Amino acid sequence: MLQAESVSKRFGGLTALSSVSLELRPGEVHGLIGPNGSGKTTLLNMMSGYYPVDEGTIRLDTHVLNREGVAERAQRGIARTFQKPRLLGPLSVLDNAMLGGWRDVKSGFISTALSLPRALRDERGLRDRAAEMLHGVGMAHALDRPASLLEHAEQRFLEIARGLVSRPRFLLLDEPAGGLTPTEIDHLATVIGVLRESGIGVLLVEHHTDFVFRISDRVTALDLGRLVRHGTPDEVRNDAEVIRVYLGA
Amino acid sequence: MLNVIVYGLAIGAVYAATALVYNVMYSTSKVLSVSTGHISMLGGIFGAYFLAQLKLPLIIGLLGAIAVGAAFNYLTELIAVRRVLARSDEHLWLLSTLAVATMISQIMALWWGTEPKPFPRLFPQGFSQGIADQKYWLPIGATIIGAVGLEIFYRRTMYGKLFIATSEDAFAARARGINTDRIRALSYVLSGALGGLAGFAAGQLTFAYFALGFALTLNGFIAIAVGGLGSNLGAVIGGIALGMMSSFATYFFGGEYQQTVAIGVLILVLIVKPEGLFGSKQVRPV
Amino acid sequence: MTEHSRGARIATLVMGAVFLVALPFIVRDQYQLHLAQLIGVYWILIAGLNLVIGYSGQLSVGHVGLLAVGAYGFAIIAGKYDFPPLLALIACGALGGLCGFLLGLPSLRLPGFYFAMVTLAFAVIVTEQSVAQTDLTGGGVGLPVPGFAAPFDSPEGFYWLILAVAAAITWLTWNIARLMWGRALIGVRDSEVAARSVGISVYRVKLIVFVFSGVTAGIAGGLFASLQSYITPDTFIFELGLFFFTCIIIGGRGSIFGPFVGTVILTAIPEVVAPLAKLGNFFYGFLLLVVVLLTPEGFGRLFQQALARFNPKVAESTVVAPDPALLRKALQRAED
Repeated sequence: MLQAESVSKRFGGLTALSSVSLELRPGEVHGLIGPNGSGKTTLLNMMSGYYPVDEGTIRLDTHVLNREGVAERAQRGIARTFQKPRLLGPLSVLDNAMLGGWRDVKSGFISTALSLPRALRDERGLRDRAAEMLHGVGMAHALDRPASLLEHAEQRFLEIARGLVSRPRFLLLDEPAGGLTPTEIDHLATVIGVLRESGIGVLLVEHHTDFVFRISDRVTALDLGRLVRHGTPDEVRNDAEVIRVYLGA
Repeated sequence: MLNVIVYGLAIGAVYAATALVYNVMYSTSKVLSVSTGHISMLGGIFGAYFLAQLKLPLIIGLLGAIAVGAAFNYLTELIAVRRVLARSDEHLWLLSTLAVATMISQIMALWWGTEPKPFPRLFPQGFSQGIADQKYWLPIGATIIGAVGLEIFYRRTMYGKLFIATSEDAFAARARGINTDRIRALSYVLSGALGGLAGFAAGQLTFAYFALGFALTLNGFIAIAVGGLGSNLGAVIGGIALGMMSSFATYFFGGEYQQTVAIGVLILVLIVKPEGLFGSKQVRPV
Repeated sequence: MTEHSRGARIATLVMGAVFLVALPFIVRDQYQLHLAQLIGVYWILIAGLNLVIGYSGQLSVGHVGLLAVGAYGFAIIAGKYDFPPLLALIACGALGGLCGFLLGLPSLRLPGFYFAMVTLAFAVIVTEQSVAQTDLTGGGVGLPVPGFAAPFDSPEGFYWLILAVAAAITWLTWNIARLMWGRALIGVRDSEVAARSVGISVYRVKLIVFVFSGVTAGIAGGLFASLQSYITPDTFIFELGLFFFTCIIIGGRGSIFGPFVGTVILTAIPEVVAPLAKLGNFFYGFLLLVVVLLTPEGFGRLFQQALARFNPKVAESTVVAPDPALLRKALQRAED
């Protein structure tokens, strides 16, 4: 389980998060919603290691992650996507996806420079795995295309594929539905469903509340850095405070 | 010993002025230009050209050097910074300003020559004045004027406040209707003028020399890295500290250790306190 | 890649290799052979530096300092202390790698401009110390540099030595570039955020590559010194560091072949076109500016884009269509 325990975060005079807790379990989709400035992306950033916590603990099973950086957490199986996709433009879609496999690269600089069998094996294995993931998420049509030429939806799905290539236990999605058409959102729901079945814990930070309620097992709602309500989608959707926050905002 | 101190203050003043120029340009553009030192190099060379070769009166030479500095930096902004910033790749302005610095160095080497040439006296004075020699006090005076002038500019004038607004949040500034392109260009003109003035004032100390460009770029950078990017106080203190250290290093170890000592100090500061003495951790150039 | 283009590529490579090996018999005079040797030596340094600048995006302008370390190292070890030249060359590589490590350790954590300035500062220190440490380096007067033993003591022999070393280094860097390390380096260059998110230790990767570039610079320095047969501090001016840098940027980042062509062209042109030689650094600066403003990806990319115009444009799909069953299987297989 990946969890945040009573975490707080301040930026100068602004309190972005105040004593918020969240548990992400394997094989579960956990929605995280809230109006702008509610702190949901901040929380995701803290769980993945981009911001240090001011108070509280980020824990992976029994292990405290607070002192570990982004790369170390990624090595432990915590993958994420970004609100604005961060891809390597000059590289192909396949190359971009293969980047996610760095965690499994056993060959060091020298083995690679000498193109020892181990390095070539790593390469072949990752290429196959990346190609499979790309097929799975729906990017089979563009394997060799430079990432800079991708449409917005393609970029988002590529980022997800890259995250999956790293064999994550947990995948943190930062507003993945942003800019997607309804059909594409359906595809996203399908993909997330398969992730859940495969035992990956998915954190879904999103604005599209309908979408979140549709596919999440549990939902956490934030407002102005505080926890408003936590529970099943129905519980959260019908909570008076949540309604007030969303309609009043 | 007094000589060592006065020389240290004087050369430190030149470094400090370069550091101030870095600050002004950085504040509105978040760019650190490789051609920063070259502004003063041009001020020195053109000052010598106007006064010694064209025999123009002092005030024309002075204004001319200031104008050359301002024009050069404005052109730098136009050619190497503006278009490049629009593309938003973080490293490109380093390449473009490096290109500009290389080109101007070579042009000066070809036109002015590769040997340092003497800079004429601005005020009548003999050559055995010791520590009272104007070659020390002119740069010190120019840097004081520059630093005080900047303070007044930032605190008391409308444009100064616009500079500060743009530097703190360019996005918000644009939203309030501030033309950040023009502010940036203006800041480059202003800093170019300052650099030109400093180069002119320091001419008797440094000689009119094409290689001064990269030397000042490096040493001015050390000054601002030590003092703290974004802080004018840091620029001045960093510059003076660097000047003094170089001067004492030369005195104790000989001239061959001057740069080595300076750079050693830089590395030390960057390891211990990378944001510099007076810099804030937020003000980190990307 | 289609069979057709792959065959064409291999054929070109073979022809190129044959041409390079036969070069001493093709060129007409010693001067041209010397030029080829110089290009080869420069390329040995630039091939390593290419991984630093073109792939990991660290803008080192002071690598001439590492070249000088290798050169003086060779002059001292093989000259003064009379070590066998090939052994000395290996020592120079190690020395270059060590200096690269010491230089990169504090500086690679710094932001771009700071890093560039520290490398510049390093080059300045090396120059200053090569003048100051007269006992070791001969000061301003400099040092004579021995040649290599047979069969490398003739111009042709020496050329083939340089060619062999250059080929080996090129092969090493080509492997790094085309396998996972290459992708990781480009990740470090273009999006540290993305690189970290997949578990890349950015600092460690930068440092390893930088040390490698120190090794190649050291080796290049030893060969360069022997080629010049006499070195002084003036041989290693800052402008040479700019030259290396420019070859890479102009040739194109993220490519092995581009910077190679860049090296050949920038070394040969001032020799061939006399007026440009006089302009020297202005020409390099101007080219650098043109590249940055027009084609930041370098001329190599421009060439590629031009070629692409001649290929028929197939209408490309942009529809994302997931395959849940395949995805499920892929995830399961990944668990094993």
